[in-house]
Amino acid sequence: MQSRIIQVTGLALSLVYGAFIIWIYATEPRTFKEVTTSAEIAAGTYQINQEHFTSAIALFRREQFRAARDEWQLADPAQADARTQFYIAYSFYREGWGRVYFDQNLFKQGLGAVNRAIALASASPLTVDDPDLHMHSAAELKAELEQGIELSWSDVNPFKVLRTRK
Amino acid sequence: MHDTRNRALVDFVALPFLFLTVALLGGLRVDGESRAFVFLAPPLVTLLLAVLLMLLLIRGDLLRFQRWIRSDLSPLTNVAHSWMFITLFFASAQAFNSVLPERGLLHWLFSFFFLWTLWNNQFSSFDARRLLRSLAILFGTAFILKHMLLASLYSPEGGWLKRVAGTLLQGVTIGTLDAPSFAPATGYISFFTLTLYVVGLILLASAANGQTKIITHAIPASVVEDYRQVSTAERLTVREAILTEEPQSESRRDNT
Repeated sequence: MQSRIIQVTGLALSLVYGAFIIWIYATEPRTFKEVTTSAEIAAGTYQINQEHFTSAIALFRREQFRAARDEWQLADPAQADARTQFYIAYSFYREGWGRVYFDQNLFKQGLGAVNRAIALASASPLTVDDPDLHMHSAAELKAELEQGIELSWSDVNPFKVLRTRK
Repeated sequence: MHDTRNRALVDFVALPFLFLTVALLGGLRVDGESRAFVFLAPPLVTLLLAVLLMLLLIRGDLLRFQRWIRSDLSPLTNVAHSWMFITLFFASAQAFNSVLPERGLLHWLFSFFFLWTLWNNQFSSFDARRLLRSLAILFGTAFILKHMLLASLYSPEGGWLKRVAGTLLQGVTIGTLDAPSFAPATGYISFFTLTLYVVGLILLASAANGQTKIITHAIPASVVEDYRQVSTAERLTVREAILTEEPQSESRRDNT
């Protein structure tokens, strides 16, 4: 009977351990911190660092976009929060926006971030109620970023200098 | 009583955990610059090497499928034993992964060296002890070559050995000896991994010997005495005859 208990316990524990190893190789964490963060995401207990997030918002409003992104990176190191990724994408948009031309590199990075945000909020369309922003939905921001990347005849329109940043 | 319990603890708890730990650590490297973990899944060639090694373990009597997975054992025991073999397979693959260079010509040279050794061993006569010794030496040699010689050759702070050998080999092979630089911790992890793997195999061998002891108690002393009288060549013939007759005699025993 005791041997049977050992068998069942050993089998169950080693199966859990095996699943953990597969998960580790699938997620490829780079540090122990990332291991715990990935575990939190898997368990559904992951939360962003609110302090860094608030600080990033303040920097974003002062148009210090790079510093803001650094703070958001610290707030959401696992890139697992849709709202934070939306703001990161928005900061790329605002920094890359120009009256004469758009910075393609920044817009591409913004597109990556907004795609992440959309993927993370796949259950319902992502909307951010921030009065400081002109675009509140991720879909709207994505469309704007994609338009900025695409080359078209409207790029040579001299009146485009009159357009406004959102 | 204690013997059965201890055996169960080794077979169903210690061995799977040892082998799974080897499977976890075998692909772990620590990046030389950022000190970040790098998890490398086992390359396809290591799976092939693991298959050859499993065959060798069966030939060397370290793994006894017909004894560990039988119809007269409970389904749970059979499942637990099968799971242990699966963990052993992946531990073997990861043990190879741990001592194989990650890329380039050296990766293929090492792979070929392993393949050649394992293939040759398939046709040699082995017992569990000899096989264990052979495997310990095989992994030990590969460890020294990869984590001591090659690591010192390709380390950023390498000395004259690096400069001389690196320049010579680089010239000869037109840069195909390129290897990623890992932190010294990688070598320690690999050493720990291989030690665990060999310890696991020793435990497995002790399990196999334990079963043999139980069987030999039933052999009459006169048979053992007669066996001792014959020459080494005749002993080999007897052993081969016993091994070929084994399934039949077992089925006969079951019938009676």
